[in-house]
Amino acid sequence: MINRRKLLGLMGASPALLAAATAEAKEKKAKVKDGKASTMEPKITALNPRGMPPPITLIPMAPRLSTLDGKTIYLISDGFPGADHFLAQVAIWFQKNMPSVKTVYRLKAGGFADDDPKLNAEVKANGQGVIMAIGH
Amino acid sequence: MVTIAFKDLAKTNAAKRGMPLQRIVFTPHPVWGKTDAEMYAYLEGNDPVSGKPLMPEVVGDLTRPLAPDESKSGVVTPPTGAPSYTDTSDNLQQYYLDNGMTDFMPIILPTQEKVDAMLKGTSHKPDEVVGKMTPAQGAFPAWSFTVQQVAVNAVMAGATPDYFPTLLAIASTGISALFSSTNSLVSAAIVNGPIRDKLQMNYGIGAMGPFNQPNAVIGRAWTLMSKNLDGGGIAGETYMGSQGNIINYNNLIVPENEKDSPWPPFHVQKGFKPTDNVVSFFFGFCITQGQGGRGLGVKPIPQYHEAMSYNAGPFASLFGALFLLDPLVANGLVELGYKTKDQLADWLQKNTTISVKDVKSMLFSGLPRGPEAANLTDDSIVPKWQRPDAFNFVVVGGQTNPYHQLANMSYRVSSSIDKWT
Repeated sequence: MINRRKLLGLMGASPALLAAATAEAKEKKAKVKDGKASTMEPKITALNPRGMPPPITLIPMAPRLSTLDGKTIYLISDGFPGADHFLAQVAIWFQKNMPSVKTVYRLKAGGFADDDPKLNAEVKANGQGVIMAIGH
Repeated sequence: MVTIAFKDLAKTNAAKRGMPLQRIVFTPHPVWGKTDAEMYAYLEGNDPVSGKPLMPEVVGDLTRPLAPDESKSGVVTPPTGAPSYTDTSDNLQQYYLDNGMTDFMPIILPTQEKVDAMLKGTSHKPDEVVGKMTPAQGAFPAWSFTVQQVAVNAVMAGATPDYFPTLLAIASTGISALFSSTNSLVSAAIVNGPIRDKLQMNYGIGAMGPFNQPNAVIGRAWTLMSKNLDGGGIAGETYMGSQGNIINYNNLIVPENEKDSPWPPFHVQKGFKPTDNVVSFFFGFCITQGQGGRGLGVKPIPQYHEAMSYNAGPFASLFGALFLLDPLVANGLVELGYKTKDQLADWLQKNTTISVKDVKSMLFSGLPRGPEAANLTDDSIVPKWQRPDAFNFVVVGGQTNPYHQLANMSYRVSSSIDKWT
Protein backbone atom coordinates (compact mmCIF):
# COMPACT_ATOMS: atom_id res chain seq x y z
CA MET A 1 0.00 0.00 0.00
CA ILE A 2 1.40 3.38 -0.95
CA ASN A 3 1.20 6.26 1.48
CA ARG A 4 -0.75 8.53 -0.82
CA ARG A 5 -0.13 11.64 1.25
CA LYS A 6 3.62 11.23 0.73
CA LEU A 7 3.11 10.26 -2.90
CA LEU A 8 1.06 13.35 -3.68
CA GLY A 9 3.58 15.50 -1.84
CA LEU A 10 6.33 14.10 -4.02
CA MET A 11 4.24 14.89 -7.08
CA GLY A 12 3.73 18.45 -5.97
CA ALA A 13 0.05 17.98 -5.28
CA SER A 14 -1.80 18.74 -2.08
CA PRO A 15 -2.58 15.70 0.06
CA ALA A 16 -5.91 17.40 0.68
CA LEU A 17 -6.81 16.14 -2.79
CA LEU A 18 -7.40 12.75 -1.25
CA ALA A 19 -8.45 13.87 2.18
CA ALA A 20 -11.71 12.00 2.00
CA ALA A 21 -10.12 8.73 0.95
CA THR A 22 -10.30 5.89 3.39
CA ALA A 23 -7.56 3.35 3.57
CA GLU A 24 -4.20 4.91 3.07
CA ALA A 25 -4.55 8.66 3.47
CA LYS A 26 -1.81 8.44 6.03
CA GLU A 27 0.19 5.75 7.69
CA LYS A 28 -1.55 5.33 10.99
CA LYS A 29 0.21 4.94 14.28
CA ALA A 30 -0.90 2.24 16.69
CA LYS A 31 -2.71 3.44 19.77
CA VAL A 32 -0.95 2.77 23.06
CA LYS A 33 -3.71 1.71 25.43
CA ASP A 34 -1.69 1.80 28.64
CA GLY A 35 1.46 3.87 28.46
CA LYS A 36 3.00 2.47 31.63
CA ALA A 37 2.29 -1.14 30.84
CA SER A 38 3.48 -0.69 27.30
CA THR A 39 6.84 0.74 28.33
CA MET A 40 7.36 -2.33 30.51
CA GLU A 41 6.85 -4.67 27.57
CA PRO A 42 9.85 -5.59 25.46
CA LYS A 43 9.99 -3.99 22.05
CA ILE A 44 10.57 -6.05 18.97
CA THR A 45 11.33 -5.24 15.36
CA ALA A 46 9.20 -6.58 12.53
CA LEU A 47 9.75 -6.26 8.79
CA ASN A 48 7.73 -4.44 6.15
CA PRO A 49 5.82 -6.93 3.94
CA ARG A 50 5.28 -4.60 1.00
CA GLY A 51 6.61 -5.06 -2.51
CA MET A 52 8.22 -2.41 -4.68
CA PRO A 53 6.04 -0.14 -6.83
CA PRO A 54 7.53 1.15 -10.07
CA PRO A 55 8.63 4.77 -10.40
CA ILE A 56 5.93 7.09 -11.64
CA THR A 57 6.59 9.34 -14.63
CA LEU A 58 4.55 12.51 -14.29
CA ILE A 59 2.55 13.36 -17.40
CA PRO A 60 1.88 17.06 -18.06
CA MET A 61 -1.77 17.61 -18.83
CA ALA A 62 -2.80 18.82 -22.27
CA PRO A 63 -3.29 22.59 -22.72
CA ARG A 64 -6.89 23.68 -22.23
CA LEU A 65 -9.12 25.26 -24.83
CA SER A 66 -10.00 28.94 -24.44
CA THR A 67 -13.60 28.18 -25.40
CA LEU A 68 -15.71 25.26 -26.57
CA ASP A 69 -17.56 27.37 -29.15
CA GLY A 70 -17.30 25.73 -32.57
CA LYS A 71 -15.13 22.94 -31.23
CA THR A 72 -15.48 19.18 -31.72
CA ILE A 73 -15.58 17.24 -28.45
CA TYR A 74 -15.25 13.46 -28.55
CA LEU A 75 -17.42 11.56 -26.07
CA ILE A 76 -15.64 8.28 -25.43
CA SER A 77 -17.07 5.28 -23.61
CA ASP A 78 -14.79 2.76 -21.92
CA GLY A 79 -17.34 0.03 -22.63
CA PHE A 80 -18.76 -0.45 -19.15
CA PRO A 81 -22.54 -0.84 -19.04
CA GLY A 82 -24.43 2.41 -19.22
CA ALA A 83 -21.60 4.64 -20.42
CA ASP A 84 -22.99 4.71 -23.97
CA HIS A 85 -26.47 5.80 -22.88
CA PHE A 86 -25.02 8.30 -20.44
CA LEU A 87 -22.86 9.93 -23.12
CA ALA A 88 -25.90 10.14 -25.41
CA GLN A 89 -27.44 12.34 -22.73
CA VAL A 90 -24.25 14.41 -22.56
CA ALA A 91 -24.56 14.98 -26.31
CA ILE A 92 -28.17 16.09 -25.84
CA TRP A 93 -27.07 18.48 -23.08
CA PHE A 94 -24.60 20.14 -25.42
CA GLN A 95 -27.25 20.40 -28.17
CA LYS A 96 -29.58 22.15 -25.76
CA ASN A 97 -27.11 24.33 -23.88
CA MET A 98 -24.10 24.84 -26.16
CA PRO A 99 -25.35 24.13 -29.70
CA SER A 100 -22.15 25.36 -31.33
CA VAL A 101 -20.29 22.40 -29.83
CA LYS A 102 -20.11 19.37 -32.10
CA THR A 103 -19.99 16.05 -30.25
CA VAL A 104 -18.79 12.72 -31.67
CA TYR A 105 -19.47 9.47 -29.80
CA ARG A 106 -16.97 6.61 -29.92
CA LEU A 107 -16.58 3.31 -28.04
CA LYS A 108 -12.96 2.74 -27.09
CA ALA A 109 -11.53 -0.54 -28.35
CA GLY A 110 -10.25 -3.18 -25.96
CA GLY A 111 -10.70 -3.44 -22.23
CA PHE A 112 -11.28 -0.41 -20.04
CA ALA A 113 -7.57 -0.09 -19.27
CA ASP A 114 -6.31 -0.71 -22.80
CA ASP A 115 -4.93 2.00 -25.00
CA ASP A 116 -6.67 2.63 -28.35
CA PRO A 117 -4.05 4.24 -30.62
CA LYS A 118 -6.36 4.32 -33.64
CA LEU A 119 -9.01 6.26 -31.76
CA ASN A 120 -6.38 8.55 -30.22
CA ALA A 121 -5.13 9.39 -33.71
CA GLU A 122 -8.68 10.13 -34.87
CA VAL A 123 -9.27 12.45 -31.91
CA LYS A 124 -6.01 14.31 -32.53
CA ALA A 125 -6.84 14.73 -36.21
CA ASN A 126 -10.48 15.72 -35.91
CA GLY A 127 -11.21 16.84 -32.37
CA GLN A 128 -10.21 19.51 -29.92
CA GLY A 129 -11.29 17.90 -26.66
CA VAL A 130 -12.36 14.65 -25.02
CA ILE A 131 -14.84 13.71 -22.36
CA MET A 132 -14.33 10.13 -21.28
CA ALA A 133 -17.00 8.30 -19.32
CA ILE A 134 -16.35 5.40 -16.98
CA GLY A 135 -19.72 3.76 -16.66
CA HIS A 136 -21.31 1.19 -14.36
CA MET B 1 -16.57 11.60 -15.94
CA VAL B 2 -16.69 8.85 -13.32
CA THR B 3 -19.50 7.58 -11.14
CA ILE B 4 -18.97 8.37 -7.46
CA ALA B 5 -18.56 4.69 -6.49
CA PHE B 6 -15.13 4.84 -8.13
CA LYS B 7 -13.98 8.12 -6.57
CA ASP B 8 -10.96 6.82 -4.70
CA LEU B 9 -10.04 4.39 -7.46
CA ALA B 10 -10.14 7.11 -10.12
CA LYS B 11 -8.09 9.63 -8.14
CA THR B 12 -5.42 7.27 -6.89
CA ASN B 13 -5.08 5.46 -10.18
CA ALA B 14 -4.67 8.76 -12.02
CA ALA B 15 -1.92 9.65 -9.53
CA LYS B 16 -0.20 6.28 -9.89
CA ARG B 17 -0.24 6.73 -13.65
CA GLY B 18 1.42 10.12 -13.44
CA MET B 19 -1.49 12.55 -13.52
CA PRO B 20 -2.33 13.27 -9.87
CA LEU B 21 -4.37 16.36 -10.70
CA GLN B 22 -6.34 14.89 -13.58
CA ARG B 23 -9.63 16.74 -13.82
CA ILE B 24 -12.41 14.33 -12.95
CA VAL B 25 -16.08 15.18 -12.65
CA PHE B 26 -18.19 12.73 -10.66
CA THR B 27 -21.76 11.69 -11.31
CA PRO B 28 -24.14 9.85 -9.02
CA HIS B 29 -23.94 6.07 -9.19
CA PRO B 30 -24.97 3.98 -11.04
CA VAL B 31 -25.66 4.93 -14.64
CA TRP B 32 -26.32 1.33 -15.62
CA GLY B 33 -30.04 0.61 -15.48
CA LYS B 34 -31.09 4.26 -15.29
CA THR B 35 -33.54 5.79 -17.75
CA ASP B 36 -32.51 8.54 -20.14
CA ALA B 37 -34.46 11.03 -18.03
CA GLU B 38 -32.71 9.92 -14.85
CA MET B 39 -29.30 10.23 -16.47
CA TYR B 40 -30.14 13.66 -17.87
CA ALA B 41 -31.17 14.68 -14.36
CA TYR B 42 -27.66 13.71 -13.22
CA LEU B 43 -26.28 16.20 -15.76
CA GLU B 44 -28.60 18.94 -14.56
CA GLY B 45 -27.62 18.29 -10.94
CA ASN B 46 -24.42 18.71 -8.98
CA ASP B 47 -21.16 16.79 -8.89
CA PRO B 48 -21.63 14.81 -5.62
CA VAL B 49 -17.96 15.30 -4.71
CA SER B 50 -17.40 18.99 -5.46
CA GLY B 51 -21.00 20.06 -4.96
CA LYS B 52 -20.75 22.21 -8.12
CA PRO B 53 -23.21 22.11 -11.05
CA LEU B 54 -22.04 19.11 -13.01
CA MET B 55 -21.97 20.11 -16.69
CA PRO B 56 -20.64 23.66 -16.08
CA GLU B 57 -17.86 21.94 -14.15
CA VAL B 58 -17.12 19.74 -17.19
CA VAL B 59 -16.99 22.77 -19.45
CA GLY B 60 -14.80 24.58 -16.93
CA ASP B 61 -12.38 21.65 -16.71
CA LEU B 62 -11.98 21.73 -20.48
CA THR B 63 -11.38 25.49 -20.66
CA ARG B 64 -9.75 26.60 -17.38
CA PRO B 65 -6.01 27.24 -17.92
CA LEU B 66 -3.64 24.74 -16.34
CA ALA B 67 -2.11 25.46 -12.95
CA PRO B 68 1.70 25.02 -12.76
CA ASP B 69 1.39 21.68 -10.90
CA GLU B 70 -0.81 20.32 -13.68
CA SER B 71 2.03 20.77 -16.16
CA LYS B 72 4.63 19.14 -13.97
CA SER B 73 6.95 16.46 -15.36
CA GLY B 74 9.62 14.25 -13.79
CA VAL B 75 9.84 10.90 -12.05
CA VAL B 76 8.86 10.04 -8.47
CA THR B 77 9.20 6.82 -6.51
CA PRO B 78 6.14 6.01 -4.41
CA PRO B 79 6.96 5.40 -0.74
CA THR B 80 5.96 2.12 0.87
CA GLY B 81 6.99 2.76 4.45
CA ALA B 82 10.05 2.03 6.55
CA PRO B 83 11.91 -1.28 6.05
CA SER B 84 10.98 -2.30 9.60
CA TYR B 85 8.93 -1.19 12.60
CA THR B 86 9.88 -1.38 16.28
CA ASP B 87 7.33 -1.42 19.11
CA THR B 88 5.63 -3.75 21.56
CA SER B 89 3.95 -6.85 20.19
CA ASP B 90 0.43 -5.50 20.75
CA ASN B 91 1.24 -2.16 19.17
CA LEU B 92 2.80 -3.83 16.16
CA GLN B 93 -0.26 -6.03 15.68
CA GLN B 94 -2.36 -2.88 15.71
CA TYR B 95 0.04 -1.10 13.37
CA TYR B 96 -0.04 -3.83 10.73
CA LEU B 97 -3.83 -3.98 11.02
CA ASP B 98 -4.34 -0.20 10.84
CA ASN B 99 -2.14 0.07 7.78
CA GLY B 100 -3.95 -2.56 5.73
CA MET B 101 -1.19 -5.16 5.80
CA THR B 102 -3.31 -7.98 7.26
CA ASP B 103 -6.52 -9.86 6.53
CA PHE B 104 -7.92 -8.24 9.71
CA MET B 105 -7.03 -11.24 11.79
CA PRO B 106 -3.97 -11.46 14.04
CA ILE B 107 -0.70 -12.22 12.31
CA ILE B 108 2.60 -13.76 13.26
CA LEU B 109 4.88 -10.75 13.57
CA PRO B 110 7.59 -11.06 10.91
CA THR B 111 10.75 -10.57 12.93
CA GLN B 112 14.10 -10.86 11.20
CA GLU B 113 14.70 -14.15 13.02
CA LYS B 114 11.46 -15.70 11.77
CA VAL B 115 12.01 -14.38 8.25
CA ASP B 116 15.55 -15.78 8.22
CA ALA B 117 14.16 -19.16 9.25
CA MET B 118 11.60 -18.96 6.43
CA LEU B 119 14.34 -18.15 3.93
CA LYS B 120 15.99 -21.48 4.78
CA GLY B 121 13.05 -23.12 2.99
CA THR B 122 14.52 -22.17 -0.40
CA SER B 123 17.93 -22.07 -2.06
CA HIS B 124 17.08 -18.78 -3.73
CA LYS B 125 18.75 -15.63 -2.47
CA PRO B 126 16.68 -13.18 -0.36
CA ASP B 127 17.17 -10.28 -2.78
CA GLU B 128 16.23 -12.25 -5.91
CA VAL B 129 13.26 -10.69 -7.68
CA VAL B 130 10.51 -13.32 -7.80
CA GLY B 131 8.11 -11.59 -10.15
CA LYS B 132 5.55 -8.84 -10.60
CA MET B 133 1.98 -8.61 -9.36
CA THR B 134 -0.88 -6.21 -9.91
CA PRO B 135 -4.41 -6.11 -8.46
CA ALA B 136 -5.75 -6.08 -12.04
CA GLN B 137 -3.76 -6.50 -15.21
CA GLY B 138 -3.69 -3.30 -17.22
CA ALA B 139 -5.60 -1.28 -14.64
CA PHE B 140 -2.82 -0.89 -12.08
CA PRO B 141 0.96 -0.72 -12.48
CA ALA B 142 2.61 -4.01 -11.47
CA TRP B 143 4.86 -4.06 -8.42
CA SER B 144 7.94 -6.26 -8.21
CA PHE B 145 8.97 -8.22 -5.11
CA THR B 146 11.82 -10.27 -3.75
CA VAL B 147 12.19 -13.68 -2.11
CA GLN B 148 12.53 -11.91 1.24
CA GLN B 149 9.32 -9.94 0.79
CA VAL B 150 7.46 -13.18 0.04
CA ALA B 151 9.06 -14.66 3.18
CA VAL B 152 7.78 -11.77 5.32
CA ASN B 153 4.22 -12.45 4.15
CA ALA B 154 4.69 -16.20 4.62
CA VAL B 155 5.67 -15.65 8.26
CA MET B 156 2.72 -13.33 8.83
CA ALA B 157 0.31 -16.01 7.55
CA GLY B 158 1.74 -18.68 9.87
CA ALA B 159 3.65 -20.68 7.27
CA THR B 160 6.56 -22.95 8.10
CA PRO B 161 9.71 -23.03 5.94
CA ASP B 162 8.67 -26.23 4.16
CA TYR B 163 5.64 -24.39 2.73
CA PHE B 164 7.87 -21.68 1.32
CA PRO B 165 8.64 -23.14 -2.16
CA THR B 166 4.90 -23.52 -2.78
CA LEU B 167 4.34 -19.89 -1.79
CA LEU B 168 7.17 -18.75 -4.05
CA ALA B 169 5.66 -20.74 -6.93
CA ILE B 170 2.33 -18.99 -6.31
CA ALA B 171 3.94 -15.56 -6.05
CA SER B 172 6.07 -16.10 -9.15
CA THR B 173 2.98 -16.27 -11.36
CA GLY B 174 2.03 -12.73 -10.35
CA ILE B 175 -1.56 -13.87 -9.92
CA SER B 176 -3.36 -11.83 -7.27
CA ALA B 177 -5.99 -13.70 -5.26
CA LEU B 178 -7.75 -10.35 -4.80
CA PHE B 179 -8.28 -9.43 -8.44
CA SER B 180 -9.93 -6.04 -8.55
CA SER B 181 -13.24 -6.24 -10.34
CA THR B 182 -16.73 -5.22 -9.30
CA ASN B 183 -17.57 -8.93 -9.65
CA SER B 184 -16.04 -10.21 -6.35
CA LEU B 185 -13.98 -12.83 -8.15
CA VAL B 186 -12.20 -15.79 -6.57
CA SER B 187 -9.06 -17.77 -7.23
CA ALA B 188 -8.12 -21.41 -6.79
CA ALA B 189 -4.79 -23.20 -6.60
CA ILE B 190 -4.63 -26.94 -7.29
CA VAL B 191 -1.62 -28.64 -5.70
CA ASN B 192 -0.23 -31.81 -7.26
CA GLY B 193 2.77 -34.06 -6.68
CA PRO B 194 4.53 -35.66 -3.71
CA ILE B 195 4.71 -32.33 -1.89
CA ARG B 196 1.08 -32.80 -0.82
CA ASP B 197 2.15 -35.70 1.39
CA LYS B 198 5.42 -34.09 2.41
CA LEU B 199 3.51 -31.08 3.76
CA GLN B 200 0.75 -33.38 5.08
CA MET B 201 -1.88 -31.47 3.14
CA ASN B 202 -5.43 -32.72 3.43
CA TYR B 203 -7.00 -34.04 0.24
CA GLY B 204 -9.45 -36.33 2.05
CA ILE B 205 -12.34 -35.60 4.42
CA GLY B 206 -12.94 -31.86 4.72
CA ALA B 207 -10.11 -31.01 2.32
CA MET B 208 -11.55 -27.63 1.38
CA GLY B 209 -12.52 -26.65 4.93
CA PRO B 210 -10.57 -25.32 7.94
CA PHE B 211 -9.20 -28.70 9.02
CA ASN B 212 -5.54 -28.66 8.03
CA GLN B 213 -2.65 -26.26 8.57
CA PRO B 214 -0.93 -26.16 5.14
CA ASN B 215 -4.24 -26.01 3.24
CA ALA B 216 -5.32 -23.05 5.38
CA VAL B 217 -2.03 -21.22 5.72
CA ILE B 218 -0.93 -21.44 2.08
CA GLY B 219 -4.24 -19.89 1.10
CA ARG B 220 -3.99 -17.18 3.75
CA ALA B 221 -0.45 -16.32 2.67
CA TRP B 222 -1.72 -15.89 -0.90
CA THR B 223 -4.23 -13.32 0.31
CA LEU B 224 -1.60 -11.44 2.34
CA MET B 225 0.78 -11.46 -0.63
CA SER B 226 -2.05 -10.13 -2.79
CA LYS B 227 -2.41 -7.18 -0.42
CA ASN B 228 1.20 -6.38 0.30
CA LEU B 229 3.28 -7.33 -2.71
CA ASP B 230 1.22 -5.29 -5.18
CA GLY B 231 -0.66 -2.69 -3.13
CA GLY B 232 -3.88 -4.62 -3.71
CA GLY B 233 -6.88 -5.37 -1.54
CA ILE B 234 -7.70 -1.80 -0.55
CA ALA B 235 -11.49 -1.71 -0.68
CA GLY B 236 -12.65 1.16 -2.88
CA GLU B 237 -9.24 1.69 -4.46
CA THR B 238 -7.50 -1.49 -5.53
CA TYR B 239 -10.37 -3.84 -4.74
CA MET B 240 -13.83 -3.07 -6.14
CA GLY B 241 -15.84 -6.28 -5.61
CA SER B 242 -19.30 -5.02 -4.74
CA GLN B 243 -20.04 -7.69 -2.14
CA GLY B 244 -16.63 -9.27 -1.63
CA ASN B 245 -16.20 -13.01 -1.40
CA ILE B 246 -15.65 -15.11 1.71
CA ILE B 247 -13.38 -17.43 -0.28
CA ASN B 248 -10.85 -14.59 -0.46
CA TYR B 249 -9.93 -15.12 3.21
CA ASN B 250 -7.75 -18.07 2.32
CA ASN B 251 -8.85 -18.86 -1.21
CA LEU B 252 -9.60 -22.25 -2.69
CA ILE B 253 -6.56 -24.42 -2.05
CA VAL B 254 -7.14 -27.90 -3.45
CA PRO B 255 -4.56 -30.66 -3.09
CA GLU B 256 -5.73 -33.31 -5.50
CA ASN B 257 -6.56 -36.77 -4.14
CA GLU B 258 -4.33 -38.49 -6.66
CA LYS B 259 -4.28 -41.91 -4.99
CA ASP B 260 -8.06 -42.36 -5.12
CA SER B 261 -8.56 -40.82 -8.55
CA PRO B 262 -9.17 -43.09 -11.54
CA TRP B 263 -7.64 -40.51 -13.87
CA PRO B 264 -4.13 -39.00 -14.26
CA PRO B 265 -3.51 -36.08 -11.90
CA PHE B 266 -4.31 -32.59 -13.11
CA HIS B 267 -0.68 -31.50 -13.51
CA VAL B 268 0.06 -34.51 -15.75
CA GLN B 269 -2.67 -33.23 -18.09
CA LYS B 270 -0.60 -30.07 -18.34
CA GLY B 271 2.58 -31.87 -19.36
CA PHE B 272 4.28 -32.40 -16.01
CA LYS B 273 5.56 -35.73 -14.69
CA PRO B 274 3.62 -37.41 -11.84
CA THR B 275 6.61 -36.87 -9.54
CA ASP B 276 6.74 -33.13 -10.26
CA ASN B 277 5.37 -30.74 -7.66
CA VAL B 278 3.10 -28.22 -9.30
CA VAL B 279 0.52 -25.62 -8.42
CA SER B 280 -2.16 -24.83 -11.04
CA PHE B 281 -4.41 -21.79 -11.03
CA PHE B 282 -8.06 -21.15 -11.72
CA PHE B 283 -9.96 -17.88 -11.67
CA GLY B 284 -13.60 -16.92 -11.89
CA PHE B 285 -16.91 -16.18 -10.28
CA CYS B 286 -18.03 -18.58 -7.59
CA ILE B 287 -18.32 -22.09 -6.20
CA THR B 288 -21.51 -24.05 -5.67
CA GLN B 289 -22.24 -27.46 -4.29
CA GLY B 290 -23.73 -30.26 -6.36
CA GLN B 291 -25.52 -32.60 -3.99
CA GLY B 292 -28.53 -32.42 -6.26
CA GLY B 293 -29.25 -32.27 -9.94
CA ARG B 294 -30.85 -34.18 -12.76
CA GLY B 295 -29.86 -37.84 -12.85
CA LEU B 296 -28.56 -38.21 -9.31
CA GLY B 297 -31.64 -40.10 -8.14
CA VAL B 298 -31.21 -42.84 -10.75
CA LYS B 299 -30.52 -46.34 -9.34
CA PRO B 300 -28.24 -48.21 -9.06
CA ILE B 301 -25.65 -45.82 -10.52
CA PRO B 302 -26.41 -42.11 -10.33
CA GLN B 303 -25.97 -40.38 -13.66
CA TYR B 304 -23.27 -38.04 -12.41
CA HIS B 305 -22.55 -36.56 -15.82
CA GLU B 306 -26.15 -35.41 -16.17
CA ALA B 307 -26.07 -33.79 -12.74
CA MET B 308 -22.80 -32.04 -13.61
CA SER B 309 -24.26 -30.66 -16.82
CA TYR B 310 -27.46 -29.60 -15.07
CA ASN B 311 -25.58 -27.88 -12.25
CA ALA B 312 -23.32 -25.99 -14.65
CA GLY B 313 -26.38 -24.72 -16.51
CA PRO B 314 -26.75 -21.38 -14.70
CA PHE B 315 -23.08 -20.49 -15.11
CA ALA B 316 -21.94 -17.65 -17.35
CA SER B 317 -19.73 -18.81 -20.19
CA LEU B 318 -17.17 -16.04 -19.70
CA PHE B 319 -15.46 -18.48 -17.33
CA GLY B 320 -15.36 -22.26 -17.62
CA ALA B 321 -16.61 -25.00 -15.32
CA LEU B 322 -14.20 -26.47 -12.78
CA PHE B 323 -15.58 -29.64 -11.20
CA LEU B 324 -14.19 -30.71 -7.84
CA LEU B 325 -15.19 -34.36 -7.70
CA ASP B 326 -15.17 -36.64 -4.70
CA PRO B 327 -13.35 -39.88 -5.64
CA LEU B 328 -16.70 -41.69 -5.39
CA VAL B 329 -18.04 -39.49 -8.19
CA ALA B 330 -14.91 -39.80 -10.32
CA ASN B 331 -14.93 -43.58 -10.05
CA GLY B 332 -18.68 -43.64 -10.71
CA LEU B 333 -18.10 -41.68 -13.89
CA VAL B 334 -15.58 -44.29 -15.01
CA GLU B 335 -18.22 -46.97 -14.41
CA LEU B 336 -20.55 -44.93 -16.60
CA GLY B 337 -18.00 -45.13 -19.41
CA TYR B 338 -15.95 -41.96 -18.99
CA LYS B 339 -12.56 -43.62 -18.95
CA THR B 340 -10.78 -40.31 -19.50
CA LYS B 341 -11.37 -36.70 -18.51
CA ASP B 342 -11.38 -35.80 -22.22
CA GLN B 343 -14.34 -38.10 -22.88
CA LEU B 344 -16.24 -36.48 -20.03
CA ALA B 345 -15.36 -32.97 -21.22
CA ASP B 346 -16.53 -33.82 -24.75
CA TRP B 347 -19.89 -35.08 -23.48
CA LEU B 348 -20.40 -32.07 -21.24
CA GLN B 349 -19.51 -29.63 -24.01
CA LYS B 350 -22.05 -31.17 -26.38
CA ASN B 351 -24.82 -31.62 -23.79
CA THR B 352 -24.61 -28.52 -21.63
CA THR B 353 -26.84 -26.37 -23.78
CA ILE B 354 -28.82 -23.17 -23.72
CA SER B 355 -31.28 -21.42 -26.01
CA VAL B 356 -30.09 -18.45 -28.03
CA LYS B 357 -32.81 -16.39 -26.38
CA ASP B 358 -31.41 -17.19 -22.94
CA VAL B 359 -27.85 -16.44 -24.02
CA LYS B 360 -28.98 -13.01 -25.12
CA SER B 361 -30.51 -12.36 -21.71
CA MET B 362 -27.42 -13.38 -19.72
CA LEU B 363 -24.45 -11.25 -18.81
CA PHE B 364 -21.03 -12.65 -19.60
CA SER B 365 -22.31 -15.21 -22.08
CA GLY B 366 -21.68 -15.41 -25.79
CA LEU B 367 -23.14 -17.04 -28.89
CA PRO B 368 -21.24 -19.45 -31.13
CA ARG B 369 -19.21 -17.82 -33.86
CA GLY B 370 -18.51 -19.06 -37.36
CA PRO B 371 -20.73 -20.00 -40.32
CA GLU B 372 -23.33 -21.85 -38.21
CA ALA B 373 -24.07 -18.67 -36.29
CA ALA B 374 -25.84 -17.21 -39.33
CA ASN B 375 -28.67 -19.78 -39.09
CA LEU B 376 -29.42 -19.35 -35.40
CA THR B 377 -32.82 -18.16 -34.20
CA ASP B 378 -33.91 -17.30 -30.66
CA ASP B 379 -35.27 -20.85 -30.29
CA SER B 380 -32.03 -22.53 -31.40
CA ILE B 381 -30.31 -24.66 -28.78
CA VAL B 382 -26.55 -24.19 -28.68
CA PRO B 383 -23.70 -25.47 -26.49
CA LYS B 384 -23.13 -23.13 -23.56
CA TRP B 385 -19.37 -23.45 -23.97
CA GLN B 386 -17.82 -23.80 -27.40
CA ARG B 387 -14.76 -25.82 -26.43
CA PRO B 388 -14.34 -28.99 -24.33
CA ASP B 389 -11.36 -27.47 -22.52
CA ALA B 390 -13.78 -25.13 -20.76
CA PHE B 391 -14.47 -28.16 -18.53
CA ASN B 392 -11.84 -29.16 -15.97
CA PHE B 393 -11.87 -31.84 -13.30
CA VAL B 394 -9.96 -32.23 -10.05
CA VAL B 395 -10.52 -35.13 -7.67
CA VAL B 396 -10.67 -34.20 -3.99
CA GLY B 397 -12.50 -35.49 -0.94
CA GLY B 398 -12.80 -38.30 1.58
CA GLN B 399 -15.49 -40.52 0.03
CA THR B 400 -18.09 -39.99 2.73
CA ASN B 401 -20.68 -39.18 0.04
CA PRO B 402 -20.67 -39.06 -3.77
CA TYR B 403 -20.89 -35.31 -4.14
CA HIS B 404 -19.22 -32.75 -6.30
CA GLN B 405 -18.67 -29.03 -6.02
CA LEU B 406 -18.30 -26.87 -9.05
CA ALA B 407 -16.86 -23.48 -9.72
CA ASN B 408 -17.47 -21.05 -12.56
CA MET B 409 -13.74 -20.74 -13.11
CA SER B 410 -11.22 -20.97 -15.93
CA TYR B 411 -7.75 -22.48 -15.94
CA ARG B 412 -4.92 -19.98 -16.10
CA VAL B 413 -1.46 -21.50 -15.69
CA SER B 414 0.59 -24.15 -13.87
CA SER B 415 3.77 -23.33 -11.97
CA SER B 416 6.60 -25.59 -10.80
CA ILE B 417 7.10 -25.75 -7.05
CA ASP B 418 10.37 -27.67 -7.47
CA LYS B 419 11.93 -24.64 -9.16
CA TRP B 420 11.69 -22.82 -5.84
CA THR B 421 13.14 -25.43 -3.48
